[in-house]
This record gives sequence, C-alpha cells and structure tokens, in this order.
Amino acid sequence: MNAAPDWPGRANETTYPKTQMRISICTAVLVLGAAIPAAAQQDTTRTQAQRDSAAAADSAAIVRELQGMQGGDTTATGRAAADAGNAGNTGGAPGPGQRLLPDISVVGDFVGDLSPEGSTQEGGRRFGVREVEIAAQAAVDPYFRGDVFLGFSDEEGVSIEQAYLTTTSLPYGLEARLGRFLMPFGKLNTTHRHDLHTTEYPWVIQTFFGAEGLKGTGLYASRVFSPLGFYQELQVTAVDGLGEPVEGLNTAEPVNKRLGGLGYSARLRNYVDLTQAANLELSFSALTGKLARPIDVAETDEVNAYATRQTTLGADFTFRWRPLQQGLYRSVILQGEVMHQINADPGATIRLPDGTTVAFEGPRRDYTGAYAFGRYQLSQRTFLGARVDWVQDPTTADADALTAGSGYLEFYPSEFSKLSAAFERLNPAIGDGVNRILLQATFALGPHKPHPF
Amino acid sequence: MRGTMIRTAALAAGLLALAGPAAAQRPLKVVTSTTDLADLASEVCGNRCQVVHISEGYQDPHFVEAKPSFILQLRNADVFAYVGLDLEIGWMPLLVQGARNPRINTGGSGNLDVSQAIRVLDRPTGNVDRSQGDVHPAGNPHYWLDPENGRRIARLFRDRLSQLSPADAQTFARNYTAFEARLNAAERAWAPQIAAIRGKPVVAWHTSWRYFAEYTGMNIVGFMEPKPGVPPSPSHLAGLIATMRRTGAKVIVMEPYYDRRTADFVAQRTGARVLVLPPSVGGVRTITDYIQLMQNDVGQLAAAVR
Repeated sequence: MNAAPDWPGRANETTYPKTQMRISICTAVLVLGAAIPAAAQQDTTRTQAQRDSAAAADSAAIVRELQGMQGGDTTATGRAAADAGNAGNTGGAPGPGQRLLPDISVVGDFVGDLSPEGSTQEGGRRFGVREVEIAAQAAVDPYFRGDVFLGFSDEEGVSIEQAYLTTTSLPYGLEARLGRFLMPFGKLNTTHRHDLHTTEYPWVIQTFFGAEGLKGTGLYASRVFSPLGFYQELQVTAVDGLGEPVEGLNTAEPVNKRLGGLGYSARLRNYVDLTQAANLELSFSALTGKLARPIDVAETDEVNAYATRQTTLGADFTFRWRPLQQGLYRSVILQGEVMHQINADPGATIRLPDGTTVAFEGPRRDYTGAYAFGRYQLSQRTFLGARVDWVQDPTTADADALTAGSGYLEFYPSEFSKLSAAFERLNPAIGDGVNRILLQATFALGPHKPHPF
Repeated sequence: MRGTMIRTAALAAGLLALAGPAAAQRPLKVVTSTTDLADLASEVCGNRCQVVHISEGYQDPHFVEAKPSFILQLRNADVFAYVGLDLEIGWMPLLVQGARNPRINTGGSGNLDVSQAIRVLDRPTGNVDRSQGDVHPAGNPHYWLDPENGRRIARLFRDRLSQLSPADAQTFARNYTAFEARLNAAERAWAPQIAAIRGKPVVAWHTSWRYFAEYTGMNIVGFMEPKPGVPPSPSHLAGLIATMRRTGAKVIVMEPYYDRRTADFVAQRTGARVLVLPPSVGGVRTITDYIQLMQNDVGQLAAAVR
C-alpha cells in the first residue's frame, strides 16, 4: 500500500459467492463461539461453589467489620471505629462503572505549521484541529470488551477510527478481536497518532501506509507464550483489505472476491528485561494482500485497475531505560524500524479478461524505508527527541529516496496535556528540500488512561 | 493388542493419580501490585503461596511501566491483589488485559481490590475535575501506612485465600493471628514515639502520608506539591516557606523517588530537616517487612521532630 495517489481501490460492489459466504460466517461463528465455552473453562483449579463461597465470605467479613465499627468495638479492629468520624467509607471505586456507563474520553490534537516557506499541512492551514477523538470503552459482558474510537477532523469529517470487540475469556493465553483496529505491523503503527513522541508518524509509515497509519477491518488473534523464558506474542490478522480503497479505481472483479485477495498479517513480539531499568523489544512483522493498481485505459472505461499482490516485511526494536527510583525524572527510548515492500510485477503490460492488452501503471519494483528515533528525558515534564528518516518513494519509478531529520521538544504540564515544538528538514524524493516548524498541543478529558508502553 | 491397551490404560491412570494430588497441593500464586501487599500476603500465606509483586518499594507506584514481563507473572496468577482507588490506573489495566487470565479480571475469583476493606480518607464530596490535580475520585489510596489498615489487609488476605484454598484455612488463620500479635507488640513498643510525634507540624511532599498522619497524629501543615501530582512551583514554595515559618514546621517528609533538591531548597530557607522515609516495604534495602516499615518510619519521624 502506498500513500496517495495510487492507494488500493475497490469501487465495485462486493458479491460473495455462496461458498465463500458460508466460510466467512462459519469462521465468525467459530471465533465468537470459542469465547463462550472458554469462560466456562476458566478457573479450572477452583470450583464455582468455592468462588461463590469466597465472594460471600468477603462480603460477610466486611459487614462484620462495619458492624464492629458501629458498635463501638474496643478491640484493635474496633479502634478504627473510635476515629471513624473523620474517615470516609470503605474503598472501591464509585463512578460510571457503577451505573454501567462506558468510560468516555476525548482527545484533542491541534497542530500549527510555522514553516517559513508556507504550511506543509493538508489543506494548507497554518493552524488546524488535526483530530478530535472520542472513545467509549467498557466490558460488554463476561466474555467481551468493547472499544470504539470515533475521529472528527476538518479534512475527513467523522470516521470510525477503531471499533472492536475483544475476547476476555479465551484459554491458553489467546485473545481474539473482531472489528476495525490499528494493524499490528511494526512498533509505532499501533500507537495512536496523538500518543506519538513525534508530531507525525515516521515517513516510512506515512509513505507505505498513509499519514494516519494502517488500519484494518476483520479478525485479529494473538497468543502470549514464553518457552524461552521471556515474553513472546504472536499476532495474526485477516482483514478486508490493505488500507483505504482509492476512489475511482475499479478492477475487473473485487479485490477481496477470493480469500487470497484479503489482507493478512503476522507479528512476532519478543520482549526481554535486560535489567530492572532497561528492556528491549525486538519484533518482526509481515503483511500481504492484493491492491488495485492503475492501468492505462481510457477515462471512460469502467475497469481501470488491476489487482497485484503487495507484501511488506518489517523489523523493529525498542530499547528503554528508566531507573525505577528516579523514573519520574530520567528515561531514554531508542527505537528503529525497517520495512521492505515487495510489489508483484505483472509486467509492463497486462491482458484484461476481454483480451485487450494495456500498460500497467502500478509499482513494479520493491521499496525500502527505515527510521531511527531517540528520546531523552530532561526533567519531570520535559523531553528532547530526534528522528532520522530514509525511505524509497514508491511513487517514483527509480525508487528515489526521501530523507528527513527532525528534532522535538516536548513539555507535559500534566499527564493529560502535552505541548511540543518540532523542527524538520525534509528532502523529498522529488523537488527541493524544505524546513518545517511544527507546533502541537494535545489534551485528554475523561478517565485516566493507561500510559502506553 | 489387548495387553498393550491395558498397559496404556494403567499408565494413564497412574499419571492421573500422580497429577491429581499434585494439582490439589499446588501453592496459590499471589501477585500483588506493591511490596506492602506482597509482604502482608506472605505473612498470612507462610509457605502455602508463591507471592510476587510488580512495583518496587522505592518506585512511585503511580508510574510503573506496564512491561510485558509482568504479564507473564499475571497470566497464571490465582490472585491479583491491588491497592485500588486508581493508584495503579496508569498501568494495571494494560497488564490485566494483556494477561488474558479470567481469574483476575473484574469479578473473577482472584481479583482482589484491597481497598474494599479500608476506611478511605480524602474521598471528595463535591465535584471533581483535573483542575484539582491528579486527584483520586474514590479517595486517597496510600492507606497501608496505618497499622490498623495493615491488619485489615491481612484479614482480607486470610479470608480470600482461605476460600480459594480451604485446606490451608487453618494455616492462614494461625499465621494471621501470629502476625497480629507481633504487630500489636510492635505498636506497644513504639507508643512513646507516637506520643512524641502527636501534634508536631510537618510538611509532606505528596498526600501519601495522610493515613500515616492520622495514625501518628503528626500535623501536616502543607504539601510540597501545590496539588496532587503537580510539581512544586516557585510561587507555591514561597507560600510554603511562609507557612513553615509561621507554624514552626521543622521536618519535610518525602519519598525516595522525588527530587530531593527542591526539598533541600525549602529546608535551607526554613531551617527544617528533610526526612526521606520509605513509603513501602523495600523502600530502603534494610526494610524487608511491613512491621519493620512502620517501626522505621515512626522511629525516624519521632527522632526528627523531637
């Protein structure tokens, strides 16, 4: 998948043959059905009666204590009752959860572009609301958790950024997910853009997947294991297609008509603690699927694209150092990813089903890209970062390279807001280099979210 | 053929017979979010549980990294005990979700929110928003620094673990009784020190010492943080210095994971002493259990305020 203009496209209506529909339905039923009996298998070492008994005993113990407090008990337990007047109630978090409301949060992401040669933002704005994201998250029932992220932006209006159902009760370290999600390819693609330590995704992600990274709609499964004594996780997905379809590109038959036309990915995460303060993640990813590529036909022709396979391989590492005692003030992150995009070459010309031969205008060679990023914590609230990028541009026939170097100063007034300033020297594959000055402000409303790791 | 089947069946039966008792006697695996909970669980368990903790005693429990290696600990835990009241909100959900262990999910038999046994302080009564700093809407979570709460936590472990492993209930009850007796004796021993502390004005860095203050009677006249979780600002410190001069506060109590230089700056201008107290077991190397922790903190504070 390359960024515009030759994004994959599918304008034809999808019409599944009956057999494939049956396969899809069976797959979905199997995945959903697996979760329910698995819940019954949970807690194999204890019986249900024991669990119920445990809960009842807990409640009874608490009630006894509260009764003791009210009765002026003079034992050690009752000592607390004597000064209970200025104390609160017993613990347990009240809040939306007690009313069965989901956690609702809002993230605002504002970007200013003070580049000396004009704005480099989409739409040419100097200041813009890049995105406002609204999230609703909660347990659906004993078997699933639901997460919905809606994005609002001036450029795209409203969009479903992510919406997925995740199992919570599968055995054997398994987890399954159904819906739209950030594709688990590489390290940063699964990080929300507003959570990045840079203003934008690295150029290799923007170039290969798009400015907002790669999302997929379909099935996800993962398993955690540690046969070698450290954390390993295998994540696999099957999604409807690779990236957003490009409007106006029509293939002779829908790209996803056959199962081979869907998108598939796999990622193997390997994480190891080097010391208490330092750790390393080294992971490998692969992604394959068919994409609609433009062909040289008259503008009036209905079929103007041809589906070819694209496979992307990736490797990434993240090294973190954060001393436990001084972790509020000192930390280092070093990170890098390399991706190699392999485009199937159907030849300079292709033969259409009606027998005509036309020129193929899609990419016919492979492209590679990479970045390296470092971030040093200066104080409790201030961080300094730098990134270098190199990526062969798939829109150029000779794989001319884009290069960039950027620096970032981040300031966090609190855990819930961030201000950052960035300078980037960008040398595009074609054309003159530009200096970019970017400002960013993000904020979060709502419940405290876990810190990304 | 029949002989082979009989031998296979006998072997399988033998293996099952061996595996059955082994599974029944498997010690409970208890994972706790903090060292304090780990020690109290160990007091109750004796050798009947395998107890491990996630955060260290010298680490700010609000800001623990959700390392995948912790997921490996949690994925086969029988019990995950945590402080609650949103203390671990910044990292615990990622670990619990990542562990894929239904026992420790909310509502699971091994999900143990210890705050349910505590009389919580500082629970906001009006509207709460982030302009008040990093407030805990359900109340102050630093409750273990009061021996009474230590007893409550230990009792909660006794009750829950007894239900999960009824065969060990008597052992857990006996261990709890022994722990309570030792704690009672320790409290009697440090009672004179508590008397020396009572009413003495001190400054604390964070609201982590509220329960300790309730127990010892020390009078917290100000905090280094202007609001919970917000770093000290110059204007706030100027006001704090004036408060300390007015009230005669001569001790600044702080945790080992905050930047001491700011406390030293205030101490130099007020003639106060900076007292770095471990807020948790393992906060300094020599503090290896809960009673030692309380003994150390009470003793050091009493010496400082005299």
